[in-house]
Amino acid sequence: MKIQTEVLIVGGGATGVGISRDLSLRGIPSILIERGDFTFGASGRNHGLLHSGGRYAVSDPEAARECISENRILRRIASHCIEETEGLFISLPGDSFDFRDQFLRACEETGIPTTLLSREEALTLEPELNPDLLGAVKVPDGAMNPFALVLENARDAEKHGAKFILHTEVTSLQMNRDKIKGVCVKDLINGEEYLINPSYLINATGAWANQFLKLAGLHIGLALSKGTMIITNQRLNQRVINRCRLPSDGDIIVPNDTVSILGTTSIRSEEIENFEVTPAEVSLLIQETSKMIPAIQETRLIRAYAGIRPLFQSEEKGGHREISRGFTLIDHGKRDGLKNFITITGGKFVTYRLMAEKTSDLVCQKMGIDTSCSTHLKPLPGISEPSKLKDRLKKIGQPATAGGGEILCDCEWIRREEVEGVLTEGKLKDLQDILHRTRLAKGTCQGGFCIYRLLGVLHDLRMTRGDSNKMLKGFLEERWKGIRPILWGPSLKEEEFIESIYKGIFNL
Amino acid sequence: MHFDLIVIGMGLSGLMAAKTASEAGQKILIIGKGMGSLSLFSNTIDVLGTISKAMNMEPHVQTTDTNPKSPWGEHPVPEDQFAHRQVSGPLGTRMNDGLSQWMKNRPKHPYSKVGLDRIKEALSSYISLFPPPYSFQTVGNGNCLIPTGLGTLRPTYLIPITMVAGTSLKERDGLIVGFKGFKDFYADYVADQLNCRGLTLSLSETFNKEITATALSRLMENEPFRETIGREIKEKLHGETRVGLPALLGVRESWKVKKDLEEIIGAEIFEIPILPPSIPGMRIFNRFKEWLIQKGVTFLLGHFISKTILKGKRCEGVHVHNPPVSYLYSADRYILATGRFVGGGLVANEKKIFEPIFNLPITQPESREDWFRKSFFDDLSHSVHQAGILTDSSFRAINEKGEVILENVWVAGSILSNHHSVDEKSREGIEIATGYMAAKEALKHGA
Repeated sequence: MKIQTEVLIVGGGATGVGISRDLSLRGIPSILIERGDFTFGASGRNHGLLHSGGRYAVSDPEAARECISENRILRRIASHCIEETEGLFISLPGDSFDFRDQFLRACEETGIPTTLLSREEALTLEPELNPDLLGAVKVPDGAMNPFALVLENARDAEKHGAKFILHTEVTSLQMNRDKIKGVCVKDLINGEEYLINPSYLINATGAWANQFLKLAGLHIGLALSKGTMIITNQRLNQRVINRCRLPSDGDIIVPNDTVSILGTTSIRSEEIENFEVTPAEVSLLIQETSKMIPAIQETRLIRAYAGIRPLFQSEEKGGHREISRGFTLIDHGKRDGLKNFITITGGKFVTYRLMAEKTSDLVCQKMGIDTSCSTHLKPLPGISEPSKLKDRLKKIGQPATAGGGEILCDCEWIRREEVEGVLTEGKLKDLQDILHRTRLAKGTCQGGFCIYRLLGVLHDLRMTRGDSNKMLKGFLEERWKGIRPILWGPSLKEEEFIESIYKGIFNL
Repeated sequence: MHFDLIVIGMGLSGLMAAKTASEAGQKILIIGKGMGSLSLFSNTIDVLGTISKAMNMEPHVQTTDTNPKSPWGEHPVPEDQFAHRQVSGPLGTRMNDGLSQWMKNRPKHPYSKVGLDRIKEALSSYISLFPPPYSFQTVGNGNCLIPTGLGTLRPTYLIPITMVAGTSLKERDGLIVGFKGFKDFYADYVADQLNCRGLTLSLSETFNKEITATALSRLMENEPFRETIGREIKEKLHGETRVGLPALLGVRESWKVKKDLEEIIGAEIFEIPILPPSIPGMRIFNRFKEWLIQKGVTFLLGHFISKTILKGKRCEGVHVHNPPVSYLYSADRYILATGRFVGGGLVANEKKIFEPIFNLPITQPESREDWFRKSFFDDLSHSVHQAGILTDSSFRAINEKGEVILENVWVAGSILSNHHSVDEKSREGIEIATGYMAAKEALKHGA
């Protein structure tokens, strides 16, 4: 099999999918290939924080400017994927007011609106805050659903002619003197190998950028930084809570639907795939974030996870916190003499659209086409759907008599009908694909019960692929990565319960 | 109120301790928050599912082909397929030999503290509580394999009569039956794994939306209901000689549910253990409860200990909190049988594991980093499962120096250290043996 395309995008994260949409709106056909599912990398493993830019105002004003500008655009084009929570930067005893003043000045310079709040005002807004706080600064932070945002981009791109090939990886590149001519790919589900001939190739593989570039014998200065986060069992704050100090470990708490997400660490990492969260990292995050919201000490945790940030290093600087969170666009024509090859990496989730715009501009320039970007003007397709948590809960909370079949997931109230809907939509190649598209396995038991039920429904529908018990084992092993570091208190109790079911009753 | 003995915990070990002491004519109070793991995981009585392969189960299941994917595939067909199922002694020869050899290398294991003879006595005592028609039995003289709700086979030792036919299930000779609207059992899932046929029955419209395990098992007790489903199964039977249903054949009189269905369908019926709650476990609990109350044991279910009164090395009483009042109960002797984390016998905070009622010391790994292995399905058991209370040979908690901490408190059940009951598949065996033994030891000591 041989496929011809104008542009081939490698990587199904926010950036790659963003480029796909951008090009499709400009009328340029593209194919995107992704090794896993959408948001397999850092796009699916972050805070879900719609940065105001405040976090970088002092240390990285350029990144801060990009953040606030994109923040405003996303509120317009993707309001259904965003909760406009606002954010507070709080000062605790021992935090210097000098930094706060510096922070306020930097926000002003980068165009981030701020409101200074007294201790009492902050506590009225967020009663769970540490009562000893000295004061707070309000900024336009928000919370977002990264997966929904990426899917919406994909949906719109597809509508405009873009194509997506998931679970497929690039195995090698065919090059001549100044061009990449062919891209050999392999379908990871059925093992089929084929060739794609693109006119232009875009490397949007994020943290995997260098792994991909290696296929072309190239390398760029990229630092990988592991960020660890923890999900609490309930929502503790209405606004994003930041510590008003230079970015450090454990200084952000982002509300997200019914939970809060505590983060984050930044640890230099060499491993992109086999990284783990240790109990010690979890303890550090709890120790630090509970200084801002003491109730965290008593709150049940449901999972820890980590993502790998790709940070571009233009020149050697000190620690990885100091490396810019801005993005980088590399024209391999200029840099390495491969005229039709572009790499885009670094950046923040919040700036994915801008990254996509700049990449698409470069593609157009190479093609000699004069079209301009419109992704900042055209809203994403699902914008009319209910976005507020309250409205969505109303939809979920319909009584059982309204139909929908039995509740498969007791934690998140997912009915059989919803799952069957996702299943029959098709295109789903593995268990994780299904889980990505529902809230199954996202609740307190982390799939301990509903995964079995999901496999049962697959058997009922005669849609199983391979040995279900092997898939179940694989799921439980994957689940383990997220819960092992948080096992004490009620989580440990539940863990003993789940283990007694699968290793005990079921002898798996 | 004063008693000879107070048993704290109403799981299998506590019930067994109460039974043992009651047989010695003691005045007993048993206090429990709930039914312990009985209502959750106990469907059968495991003694040691992991005895060395050579000593292990007779393969009771026949395979009709050598499909490597088949769960039967790993087990060779024996020459003389056991012809009759018999109730052998409390320990069949294979189990007896396997267990005694296994215990030799594990001197600290609760079984080793109890000793083989007392384990046999304890199991006999348990079996005697279940006279026919709802009796427990071994199949062959070692472990047998029963099909589970995942379609896997699980080694276990004593099984209720309602599960016996499952041990001789053959490929393509079983019909697995599930119910639409019951989300904790999927007939096709189980059948696909076992190379049998699956059938999902639609109950009358009312139930199609959603039905729970307890509701279904109560329905099974209803004769017209089981007649209806029996006739439907018979209609859809394609000559299979065995029919497997989720383990919900009634909380009461399940032997009769089984017998009636067998008469209507004309095939042997067996129950398949499923996700919690465990209806077979509730039957065990109910039988103990009925027997103990009849023997005059005071039974306080749904209560928990809020405070203990300790004086020197003795426990002088326990407060039972029953809002808005607390009652004080005292006894000469106490047995602590509160289970592990699920039961609340052990509690963990971010740093360590502790025992909340008497604050007895818990042997445990150095740091939380070591509680669990990096892989869930690691070949080795997670270290946290070995944590628990260390006792002397008479089942009283001891400190690091080996000194008895409370002279009139004995400890029984899964809260004990140095076992991995889930991996060993020894949960019920340990509970029965140590519950029995702790009571015997307590009885030795006068007031």
